[in-house]
Amino acid sequence: MVHTGRTKTLLFCVLFLVCSGHVFASNTRINCVDCHDSPRFKTAYKGSVHGNIGCTGCHKSFESLDRHVMLKERPALLSCGTCHSEIEKVYRNSFHYLYEDFRCYDCHYEIHSLKKERGNFKIAVTNNCTRCHANDEYVLSGHGAAVMKGNKDSATCSDCHGLHDTRAYHTSGEKYILEAREFYNKTCKSCHSNREMMVRNNISPDNVRYYEETYHGKVQDLGYSTSVAGCADCHTAHNILPQSDPGSTINPKNLVRNCGKCHPGIHPRFAQYKAHPDYRDIRRYPLLYISFISMVALLLVTFTFYWTHTVLWWRKVYWEKHRLEELGIKLESPLTHEEGIQEVRRFAVKDRVMHLFLVLSFFGLVITGFPIKYHDTLWAKVLIQVMGGAHNAGLYHRAAAVVLIVLFFIALWRCFRFIFPKGLGSKGRSGWKERLFGPDSLAPNMNDWRQFKGMVKWFFNKGEYPKFDRWTYWEKFDFLAVFWGMVVIGGSGVTLWAPEKASYIYPGWVFNIASILHSEEALLAALFIFTVHFFNTHLIPTKFPMDPIIFTGSYQLEELRRLRALEYERLVREGRLDELKIKHPGISLKLVSAFFGHASLWIGLLFTLILLWTFFFG
Amino acid sequence: MTVAQRNRGITACILVFLALFSCSADTPSKERGRRYVDPEGTLSLIRDKKAVIVDTMSDLECMDHRIPGSLCLPLEEFENMARELLKDKKRPVIFYCESDECLRAGVSYDKAKAAGYGEIYILRGGLPAWKRAGYDVESVERVKREPVVSVKRGALEKMAKKKQGIFILDIRSEDDYSKGHLAGAVNIPLYKLRKRLKEIPGNRTVLVVDENGKRSFLASCYLINHGFSDVVRLYGGMEYEEPQKWKGGKG
Repeated sequence: MVHTGRTKTLLFCVLFLVCSGHVFASNTRINCVDCHDSPRFKTAYKGSVHGNIGCTGCHKSFESLDRHVMLKERPALLSCGTCHSEIEKVYRNSFHYLYEDFRCYDCHYEIHSLKKERGNFKIAVTNNCTRCHANDEYVLSGHGAAVMKGNKDSATCSDCHGLHDTRAYHTSGEKYILEAREFYNKTCKSCHSNREMMVRNNISPDNVRYYEETYHGKVQDLGYSTSVAGCADCHTAHNILPQSDPGSTINPKNLVRNCGKCHPGIHPRFAQYKAHPDYRDIRRYPLLYISFISMVALLLVTFTFYWTHTVLWWRKVYWEKHRLEELGIKLESPLTHEEGIQEVRRFAVKDRVMHLFLVLSFFGLVITGFPIKYHDTLWAKVLIQVMGGAHNAGLYHRAAAVVLIVLFFIALWRCFRFIFPKGLGSKGRSGWKERLFGPDSLAPNMNDWRQFKGMVKWFFNKGEYPKFDRWTYWEKFDFLAVFWGMVVIGGSGVTLWAPEKASYIYPGWVFNIASILHSEEALLAALFIFTVHFFNTHLIPTKFPMDPIIFTGSYQLEELRRLRALEYERLVREGRLDELKIKHPGISLKLVSAFFGHASLWIGLLFTLILLWTFFFG
Repeated sequence: MTVAQRNRGITACILVFLALFSCSADTPSKERGRRYVDPEGTLSLIRDKKAVIVDTMSDLECMDHRIPGSLCLPLEEFENMARELLKDKKRPVIFYCESDECLRAGVSYDKAKAAGYGEIYILRGGLPAWKRAGYDVESVERVKREPVVSVKRGALEKMAKKKQGIFILDIRSEDDYSKGHLAGAVNIPLYKLRKRLKEIPGNRTVLVVDENGKRSFLASCYLINHGFSDVVRLYGGMEYEEPQKWKGGKG
């Protein structure tokens, strides 16, 4: 058709030239439409959106009409970007241009009669895109149906994929997976966190925020959206339907299969997990609310008590030091007594090795876990990047958790052996109560209460520093708190490690509770260790900046006598003091202890500063 | 422990460390021995050394859009056509294709190397990189773009029931086709499509199948321009799998 049309035009022109003589010679001015006289050039063009710029607005002029008529010279086409430069700039990076070599007129089909879209722009976009992308799913989806009904908030193709800047993300070949997911997640969120828009369309405006409070959301926000479920993984990209629709992926009937895409082998009750719950909403999520409030209360009570204890203790020691300095009194130097500088063993090698691994695993857990908790901070992103991504951080976290769990079971076994050193036989059982509540035990007893009262009196200058035996009440608390901590943080951690298997024991909403418990208990543990434990053992002015005893294992007799008078007296009475006397630790052990101890201490303190800063100002 | 023993221990540690390190780094094994050039380098090679640029896609794609002045030498026809088209073995040759990875250009490169061409290159990032760098392309014989619907595999059965006698046209290479294809598919590689157009029945629905969904569009348009009224293409090509789980890690 086109070919015959062109031949006719050519014939006409040749005849015209023959009859009229040389065009330029006769100085006759002719118009393009004299030859190109089809209705689309002659009439439709004038009424088109470009009608006012004329043929040479897009087609450059030519040198010789003769040559043009003989089809030897074709006027070059000006790029649309000459005028539409902004569009051209983004279009040059779009998928359609880079990989399919689309030109403007491939979508703006009839460029000569192109008219401005009248009516609903979103419907026009949908109609135009679906000429090729006849995706039934979108047209059926909540978005598509709403667009077709005239809803101007609902997303049309271009709202997610861009119009001229259609992203060059082809996910089918598993390429650009990260970029594509980041882009699409961002796009979903940009509308769904628009409060006004969501409210007027009767959709919860906080779903994005609630999602970002879940593990999925946090890891995604850190920049590792390929490791977790993003918006489209559960809601699909195009077939997005309300929950009540039987075709929706989030319809209760389809939910198990939907979750199962990433979590294979789950029990159906896995699907009771809430993907974006509001744990502050007591009516809809009472158990979550209670879990959160309980954890907050636990944190508040623990820190109110211990930070007060710490401040009072520090005040007492510092003021006392000041008083002695003012009076010019110097404490007796242990050097004056030969026996005072004798080293006494406090921690056996296995205690120290366990503590060493405890430090390593604890720091490992904190460094790999907290960036997820505080995902929206710069330090979290840097830390995760240093570790080689969220996936690696997750592996390290689990490895450290295994170390901690093993230590916990060793500790349990050692407790058992402490109480029943000769087994559970009738012989072995005898005397267990004495051992459990004896002076070498870490179990609390009435003495601790008395010592605590004595300590408080001492804080307020109302009494002497109490006499302690082998373990003080705060040391016992440090030890016993781990049992609570391990049950809560270990239990929730193992649940979140293998939620698929956990779903055979309890329903999916337990994972929501586990997330809250794990996260808040982690904060409690980290802050407790880095503030209370560090102060009690290292930062107190008498030991500042660090007490290496947990690494070297021994201290001087003078110190034992001063800090643990009851133990000292007991050891002398029982004649066991000589057993504990050992050689002064070697320089290498001291150096290693100092290095490791200081490194841990300062990393912990730095981390505390960062945590507190994030908590209050982040 | 003697000094020698200690040194051996240290060396072993370093080696283990290096081995671990090298595992985590990108291994450019696929690139080994192949020379790459970027769009700017391509321009200077053309200007300074009169390099030839070779489009390794099918002639249909090459004529539709190519780097100005390119030769059309489909990968599959290298053996037949190279002697004719690339006579001067000393002149630099730059191969490119239409994907970021440039697999076709890579294979052409190896063939050219085996054939004794002295100075050969691959355009890094292919035609998309050329376009991204802001350079234009030329169209010698442009295939008019037409709306072509793509069908997902899941919807194929439904379509087969509705439309009797779908003609499945597999435009991949003979090799790819022989490794596995849809039941009843007929193989006409894209580089032969112009010549073998008559083999396609005009009265049936034609389903165009390619590797990854990127080439079937142009082939479908070509068919429509040549009078085929009912042409659809397979969404994502033969390599496409419904994304079930996206693996962890970055990009």
